[in-house]
Amino acid sequence: MNVLQVKNLTKKFGRFTAVNDVSFSLKEGEILGLLGPNGAGKTTTIDMLLGLIKPTAGSISIFGQPFEENRSEILKQMNFSAAYVNLPWRLKVWENLYTFARLYEVDDFPQKVDRLLSEFKIKDLKDRMTDSLSSGQLTRLYLCKAFVNDPRLLLLDEPTAFLDPDVADLTRKYIVDKVKRTKSSVLFTSHNMAEITEICDRVIFLSRGKIIAQDTPAGLAKKIKFCRVRLLFIADKKKINPFLKEYQYNFSWHDQELAVELKEENVGQLLGRLSLARLKYSQITIEKPTLEDFFLEVIRSKNE
Amino acid sequence: MVLRHLYVWPKSPERFMWTFGWPLFGLILWGLTISFLQNNSSSSFSFVTFIIGGIIFWEMVVQPQREISINFIEEMWNKNFLNIFSSPLTNGEYLTALVIIGIFKMLATIVTLTVGAIVLYQFNIFSTFGFFIPILFINLLLFGMVLGFVVNALILRFGWSIQEMAWAIVAIIQPLSCVLYPLASLPSWTQRISLMLPSTYVFEEMRRVMSSGVVDIKNIMISFLMNVVYLFLSLAFFKIMFEQARVHGRLVKLS
Repeated sequence: MNVLQVKNLTKKFGRFTAVNDVSFSLKEGEILGLLGPNGAGKTTTIDMLLGLIKPTAGSISIFGQPFEENRSEILKQMNFSAAYVNLPWRLKVWENLYTFARLYEVDDFPQKVDRLLSEFKIKDLKDRMTDSLSSGQLTRLYLCKAFVNDPRLLLLDEPTAFLDPDVADLTRKYIVDKVKRTKSSVLFTSHNMAEITEICDRVIFLSRGKIIAQDTPAGLAKKIKFCRVRLLFIADKKKINPFLKEYQYNFSWHDQELAVELKEENVGQLLGRLSLARLKYSQITIEKPTLEDFFLEVIRSKNE
Repeated sequence: MVLRHLYVWPKSPERFMWTFGWPLFGLILWGLTISFLQNNSSSSFSFVTFIIGGIIFWEMVVQPQREISINFIEEMWNKNFLNIFSSPLTNGEYLTALVIIGIFKMLATIVTLTVGAIVLYQFNIFSTFGFFIPILFINLLLFGMVLGFVVNALILRFGWSIQEMAWAIVAIIQPLSCVLYPLASLPSWTQRISLMLPSTYVFEEMRRVMSSGVVDIKNIMISFLMNVVYLFLSLAFFKIMFEQARVHGRLVKLS
């Protein structure tokens, strides 16, 4: 069942088109990544899904109901957190969470808030003023707010941007576990490609307001035909460079480590040629293309 | 939303000053100045009570307007705007919460000033105005709400650059409302503007009660009808500006 259905969504600001005829859906229990360079239209899309920006054209249907006509009812079952949105800093942690629990009409919210604070490991901060928290602690507080109503649809715009690696890992695990347990759905944006690869079932890639690809993270990475071979040489680079230039390989050096970018099916040929030329290496690593490679490829082609 | 603002109140010294400190400071400053002038004047006319009455009743406009506008701006300062407007809260519920907190703080200010006026000047608004207080109060409260909604709508249209209006609007409106002097003392062209403000009729009637103990119900009705029309227009203005802010993406930029 589709929790979210977006059809031909377009947003124009004067002559500038921020989101251009975008259509996608999000299934129950799915984590969908929204990926793209700065200015691709990710945040504008999220803002339209929250009713903060009015679309120029297209339709948004959430839980099977048109969003604009049922905004308040739908928003009770949604929530949102973003790196660029704060909570009132002159309130205590519990005051902030109680306020939003009431706004989302949560039953038994004192117990719910205690449980969330424990799960995000900030229970000891319950009575602290919000302005005294570190950026990592604040991010965890915002995530508590985002989960306070057990949302069926959660929109997270770069939620782990200011977190330490261990807390970011905890957060990702929490999100995945929550989705599995409650069949809730998440729309997730991040600039951390490893994170997107780890938690998203599917990724939509936006560029200049348009969807240019959508697939699983592995599926998008496979669209890159090149892989990277890293070889550690003991011999002098000067002996190896003529060989690389002769066969017109795309290569770079980092101290004694050579990185060659080539098509996956040509890896064997490279190794054979090195052997024939008696160029000995002590270590070899073959890196498969990642989501980041796909991202960089799109950025490169956009800049060309 | 009401609780959210009540949570902030005890932690905000400047908000305590706005509710208790500055109004009381104004009462003392003006009261003592006018008392001095009165004591050195041969006139038997009681300036002090007119000024004190004006100061106390004017807070019935200032406090609701300021609370409606500054609590709205505070969400911008806190970058909490998007959390509020992406919650299930409707605009009607949000504005109602701002009005409730405005009334609550206005009552706190009025109680403080009433006690201050009794202690300092032996002037008791309850014994002077009696049952006229509610009809004067309701008109001033409605006008304060109108000004608050207009400022909020202007902020949605013009953003941060217009936030000064949250403090300035009452300073602009006060001289035209004839709070401390009768309408007749204004130049005739200014009187025409003043007569478009519901507050002018209230302060004219406040002085009438103080001098003769009666009100002209016609003036009270004019003030009330004006308030109802202005309230409807200010809410429509807010709604239009809110929708325009959504269309142009300004709501997001305010956070």
